[in-house]
Amino acid sequence: MAAATSSERFGGAVENLTEISEIQSALVKLSKEEQSVTDEIDLLLDHHGHLEAKMNSLHRMGPNLQHVSTDAKKLSGMIGSTSELAENVSSKVRQLDLAKSLVQSAIQRVNDILDLKFCTDGVQTALQSEDYEKAAGHIHRYLTLDEKVLKQALEDAGNREGSSIDASLKVLHEAEHNLKALVRKKLDQAISSSDRPSVERFFKIFPLLNLHEEGLTKFSTYLQAQIVSNAREHLEIASSVDSSDRRAGVLYADALTNLFEDVGKIIEVHQPLVETYYGPGKLLTLIESLQKECDRQAQKIIDKFVEQRDFSRKSQQVQLSLTRTTYKSSNVHDKLDPRDLDVLLAECTLLNTRTELYLRFIRRRVTSDIEVCDEDGPAKEERLSSLDRMLRDCALSRRMQEIIGNYIVMEEYFMRETVMKAVSMDIIEPGSHTSSMVDDIFFILKKCTRRAVSSGSVDCACAMLNHTSTLLESDYRDVLYGKLRAGFPSGSFDVSQAYSMLQQGRLPTSASDTNAAKLEFLTTLNNVEVSIEYTQTLKKSLVEECASLVSQNGGMSKDKLDMCLNELTTHTHKFKDVLEYGLSQLNTSAIKPRIKPMVDVFLSTSHNISEEEFSNYEANDPFVQELIMNLEQLLNEFKELLTSSNYDALVSLLTSEVTVQLEKAVLKSVFNRLGGLQFDKELRSLVGYLTTVTQWTIRDKFARLTQMATILNLDRVTEILDYWGSNSGPLTWRLTPAEVRQVLSLRLDFRSEDIKRLKL
Amino acid sequence: MEDYKYLFKVVLIGNAGVGKTCLVRRFTQGLFPPGQGATIGVDFMIKTIEIGGEKVKLQIWDTAGQERFRSITQSYYHSADALVLVFDVTSKESFNALPSWLREVEQYASPKVISVLVGNKIDLGKDREVNEEDGQSFADSHSMRFLETSAKESDNVDRLFLDIAVELTNNVRNGEIRHDDHEDIIKDTTSVSTCCKG
Repeated sequence: MAAATSSERFGGAVENLTEISEIQSALVKLSKEEQSVTDEIDLLLDHHGHLEAKMNSLHRMGPNLQHVSTDAKKLSGMIGSTSELAENVSSKVRQLDLAKSLVQSAIQRVNDILDLKFCTDGVQTALQSEDYEKAAGHIHRYLTLDEKVLKQALEDAGNREGSSIDASLKVLHEAEHNLKALVRKKLDQAISSSDRPSVERFFKIFPLLNLHEEGLTKFSTYLQAQIVSNAREHLEIASSVDSSDRRAGVLYADALTNLFEDVGKIIEVHQPLVETYYGPGKLLTLIESLQKECDRQAQKIIDKFVEQRDFSRKSQQVQLSLTRTTYKSSNVHDKLDPRDLDVLLAECTLLNTRTELYLRFIRRRVTSDIEVCDEDGPAKEERLSSLDRMLRDCALSRRMQEIIGNYIVMEEYFMRETVMKAVSMDIIEPGSHTSSMVDDIFFILKKCTRRAVSSGSVDCACAMLNHTSTLLESDYRDVLYGKLRAGFPSGSFDVSQAYSMLQQGRLPTSASDTNAAKLEFLTTLNNVEVSIEYTQTLKKSLVEECASLVSQNGGMSKDKLDMCLNELTTHTHKFKDVLEYGLSQLNTSAIKPRIKPMVDVFLSTSHNISEEEFSNYEANDPFVQELIMNLEQLLNEFKELLTSSNYDALVSLLTSEVTVQLEKAVLKSVFNRLGGLQFDKELRSLVGYLTTVTQWTIRDKFARLTQMATILNLDRVTEILDYWGSNSGPLTWRLTPAEVRQVLSLRLDFRSEDIKRLKL
Repeated sequence: MEDYKYLFKVVLIGNAGVGKTCLVRRFTQGLFPPGQGATIGVDFMIKTIEIGGEKVKLQIWDTAGQERFRSITQSYYHSADALVLVFDVTSKESFNALPSWLREVEQYASPKVISVLVGNKIDLGKDREVNEEDGQSFADSHSMRFLETSAKESDNVDRLFLDIAVELTNNVRNGEIRHDDHEDIIKDTTSVSTCCKG
């Protein structure tokens, strides 16, 4: 085919071939094609053989396939019959199985009837011999039998056996009834005579008679009676304690602790008994009724506490004075002395600590008891939430919440009043940077907040943290700010006189002597600075205190406490503002006015000098030594009286003032080459001196002046270009081009045309 | 640092059982848990919302309404940016208690606090004892905003908190209260006296 088409293709074209080379190439092409066609034909011929062989084998297979088909039909027939057979067999097996189970249940029933008879006989003899455990065991066995099934068997059996079983059942019913009544009576008797072994003996019988709830109820009455009698003793002991006793201050907390320990011990001792005979998951029922008694007894103790400690009157008095102070009409006489509260407050928190401890114990016990009996989700949830409800709503919790509510009010009053007292009794002792109130106040804050945290109540701790924040950021801050607002009095300052003034107790407000006022101002600056530091320390120590509270109460309480703790330090910037304000006051009245005259001496010192004058200056310094001496004298007035951080801040303010004034003076002066050199020397001494008096870096403040000195030291105007622009290297110019020109023009020997021509 | 631009403290107050916890739950979790037990002390929830493209974090303190927790809840007033005073429209008693709540606010809260009056439970229309006009006029006479809500039907709950967040954010932006608290008190002696009361 290929050959045919190609020859057709060439057919027309061969005649058109004129060039010998074309003809030749056509010939080559054609002969190639011929060769490939021949190859193809050969290949096809080869295949022919294969195909033939295949056809032959297929022909041979034909008859075999017929055999296979008949065999398959036979097999299918065989399988069919086999399956029928199997079907028959299995139905018989099923019948057998049914028969077997019927026989088994018959045996079971016979056994039951035998048991029943055995129980009937056993119960009677056991009752006669007062072996209640055995009798109850028989009744228990009988109760596990399915009475309906027995009755059914009765009817099936007809009258023959029926009547005797019926009689047995009647006997058992009676026996059950009798036993129940008997056991009830016996347990009641045992309880009323508090005969412990008998109580436990009959308590164990109740669950055998399916009387779990009743048994627990009766048992808890017995345990309640124990709680009552113990509590009475504790309260009697408490009321007989002498007021000089070491524990007198925490008498009621001790009584409450004893009560809780009793209840705890009772639970500890009797829990195994309940668990063994009543099964797990019954503890909640028992504790619910014990808690009722515990509530009653705790109330009695707390009532006594409230009465004996005059709790209500004191808390009312505090409430009253709180509303009074806001209406600004304070009557000093019926104000409660905070010291009267100290012991009471400690006992309040102890009462709550013990309560929280006890309630946690109950929660742990009941929860683990609920965990043991593995119930499904909702039933368990229900039990846990009823535990929650019990703990939250029990009279004890409510009562303690009331006590804590009042405690917070009184603690806040105690804290505020004591802090204000510390403020009013503030004294400055020689040699101390701060006055007495700072240490006093932070001691009080720490004491009160720690006490609140020790109560074990997260909400109580948070409330006192909130009050502490408020006290710090408004009341205390106002005290400090108020003292600084009067400003730092101007004039000279004699420290020793100030101390003697203060020690004589004279008010530092007298206009004639401002020394004491000055000392107080500086001390207040220190107070502010130290207060910032103390606030951080207070927070840090409280974070540690709160850690145990968090571990006991978990998730939510941690977040709450964190929020309230952070609140303590979020306001420290208010103190920093006060400090800055104070320092600026000090700067305005004590630094600024004294720096200017010191620096102005520069103006009267000529910097247009001859060689001779220059060397003369070297021997008799005209300016800088005196300036340094004056600065030192000025700083010495404050150095001993300020904390190092405040002193550094003061040096920094002073340095800024010196540079500002000196810059002004330089720009008002004129220089020659030697004068520039002189200025450079003066500047170096000044920077050198100030670097030694502070730990803060002050070189940066001198950047502009140093650059001015560099300019004033140039040999030629154009030399500035060696330092300017791309040649500045690591130097960052703090002077504008205009200022550079201005400084250049201070040099008398620089021509203004040269300066103008500069390209900066 | 957490990812938010402003942080505000919102404190809910009002008689026991008026639905403070439900309002907070509805807003923060989208839930209305029926049969809620009384709140013990104080609970708090956090919700971050977006106001004009900026994240605003609301720290919502849900206080117990019962008297015996009063001293705990009062300690939160001072640092609150907003107070939500809630009453129950089906309880005249809770409405009558409002003046005494306001006295507390005056005594303890910062003078720059925003307060909003909320009448809750409007889904219980047939039991209503306080009509909307009375609520509104009480709010007007104490220059508070007023809103009626239903935590159950989710009516106005988001709006209540979003409005507060918007107002507080605007106040900060307008510099009325600078949230970084660089108050002008230090330069301005007249405002010191108001802050002394605290």
